[in-house]
Amino acid sequence: MRVLVAEDLYLLRDGMVRLIEAYGHEVVATAATGPETLDALLKWRPDVSVVDVRMPPDQSDEGLRAALAARAEVPGLPVLILSQHVEQLYARELLADGAGGIGYFLKESVFDGGQFVDALERVAGGGTAMDPAVIAKLLAGGSATRRLGGLTEREHAVLALMAEGLSNQAIGRRLFLSDSAISKYTTSMFGKLGITDDEAGNRRVLAVLAYLNNP
Amino acid sequence: MRQVVSWASGACVGFVRACAVTVVSMLVPAVWAAAVAWGIWWGAANPWSWVGPLVLVCVGTLALSRPVCRTVRHLVAKWTATTVPAGYRQAAPVTQLSTGYWWNGRSYERTRRDALLDQRTRNRWRDPATWRDLRFTAIVPFTAGVVAAVPPAGIAVAVLGLGRPDLAPRLAGVLGLVVAIASAPYAWRPVEPVAVRFLRPSPAMLLAGRVDELTAQRADTTVAQAAEIRRIERDLHDGAQARLVGLGLSLATAEKLMETDPERARALLREARAGATASLTELRELVRGINPPVLNERGLVDAVRAFALDSPLETTVDADVRGPLDPPVEAALYFGIAELAANAAKHAHATRARISLTQDDTGLAVEVEDDGRGGAAMRPGGGLEGLRRRLAVFDGTVEITSPDGGPTRVRMMVPCASS
Repeated sequence: MRVLVAEDLYLLRDGMVRLIEAYGHEVVATAATGPETLDALLKWRPDVSVVDVRMPPDQSDEGLRAALAARAEVPGLPVLILSQHVEQLYARELLADGAGGIGYFLKESVFDGGQFVDALERVAGGGTAMDPAVIAKLLAGGSATRRLGGLTEREHAVLALMAEGLSNQAIGRRLFLSDSAISKYTTSMFGKLGITDDEAGNRRVLAVLAYLNNP
Repeated sequence: MRQVVSWASGACVGFVRACAVTVVSMLVPAVWAAAVAWGIWWGAANPWSWVGPLVLVCVGTLALSRPVCRTVRHLVAKWTATTVPAGYRQAAPVTQLSTGYWWNGRSYERTRRDALLDQRTRNRWRDPATWRDLRFTAIVPFTAGVVAAVPPAGIAVAVLGLGRPDLAPRLAGVLGLVVAIASAPYAWRPVEPVAVRFLRPSPAMLLAGRVDELTAQRADTTVAQAAEIRRIERDLHDGAQARLVGLGLSLATAEKLMETDPERARALLREARAGATASLTELRELVRGINPPVLNERGLVDAVRAFALDSPLETTVDADVRGPLDPPVEAALYFGIAELAANAAKHAHATRARISLTQDDTGLAVEVEDDGRGGAAMRPGGGLEGLRRRLAVFDGTVEITSPDGGPTRVRMMVPCASS
């Protein structure tokens, strides 16, 4: 897997490069500012990139904007965003194109190397990977709870894990349920959220989008 | 017909007002006239005959100037809705010191009565407002007073003239009546411009008032900032800093145990990782309390949108903001909005809120409206009062409309240059 690391703090960037290489992946480029990130993303077209939200020169949301700009140019370019804090607004903007290949993680998630690299691989494969904290915040948000009023508690739990990016098997293991039970829940959930089987997009991404989008 | 009735009622009201202005403004000249009459009655040859009337003029003018001015202010405010600020100096509190003496802000006195007496005379003589009142009582009879006296004088002429059998006085009486009726709706009006021109506090006094206000604001801001810094220091010291020390200790122990007991070392490393995550969470909360990250990264409008997404209320945001704002103004408005939304959820039991931000040439207006039960009011020491004081630093204002039963609408207004 060819990875790009965009992070302005040297220590963190270096740590991530070492971590990714320790798991046997190749870091093709690094970037330290917003414009550099955009250039590198378009030049290298990595299998997946790790991008920090806040970067120089403005110390604003430069990284996020570089990622969105690159994805506008190359649809579905897999990006895992790292942030110091959970922001629904940013998660929404990332998922808005419905193309998948998106992750949004808190910075401390890199402490758990296995989980972090696992998420990178999922994003590289076109899936979504959301930090549990991000999902918790999204589901706790007032508007989401109201829109999801129709879901049962169990379906809610399945949706939350699905939004994190877990597969049906993994969700089943987490909730101590059989695969068939999980697929029953997902089918009824997709029905309630108005997502049909023949939908061309990634149904899991669409499910996450269903509660992110305004009613 | 209706026009005639309304004109007649206007004339009646005007006549009553003109009479009131005449009485108030002619009170002091009446005292002067009485003094002159007294002097003449005593006879100009007697030197003592000058002293009594002179004392009467001085004491009468001094005693009447303030009540006359107060009445004029009251009448002008009632009739024209023009407020003429009084601007008298406020008396400092009189306090007893540990020595037993009384301090009135200027001097030490043996008793409370002396302190108050000294303060009152001092205020009376030193206050520029007193001299302004005196000047006004001298000016008003010859300006607004003369004009306002026309309708009553016309009526007086009419009453006297029409009672006579001769033609000339009767003609004069008719003329007086016509003048009185024609001038009645307008004769009282000059009192307003005269009061505004001569009774308003001088620019120096307005400045002095503004300085007092700013001094109080500066004191508020300094106290609030110091408290905030103390809170941050305490949170860092008790939370993140302590955790990081613990983390270092765990790592040191793990390093030592690596060879002898790898299992325990691994457990310690896991613990250290959990500690690092926890301290990051704590630091994040702390940073969010100082300034929400989206506010730094995107500015007020997106910060409010992000806030609305997280809010337990169903919140809609309309924004029409052109230029970038100063960071302190943005932070004050953001925390103001957050506080209002929290109030709506907690105190008003609202379920929906609407936040609108609009900017025009004069400034930025933020309106927060909820569907709660209302009854919000600015109380001394309350949250809304605190909000008003925080915005006052930027010359901002807060208006609250919150009838019992709701809805509550709060409007924050901050002046800013349009870009």
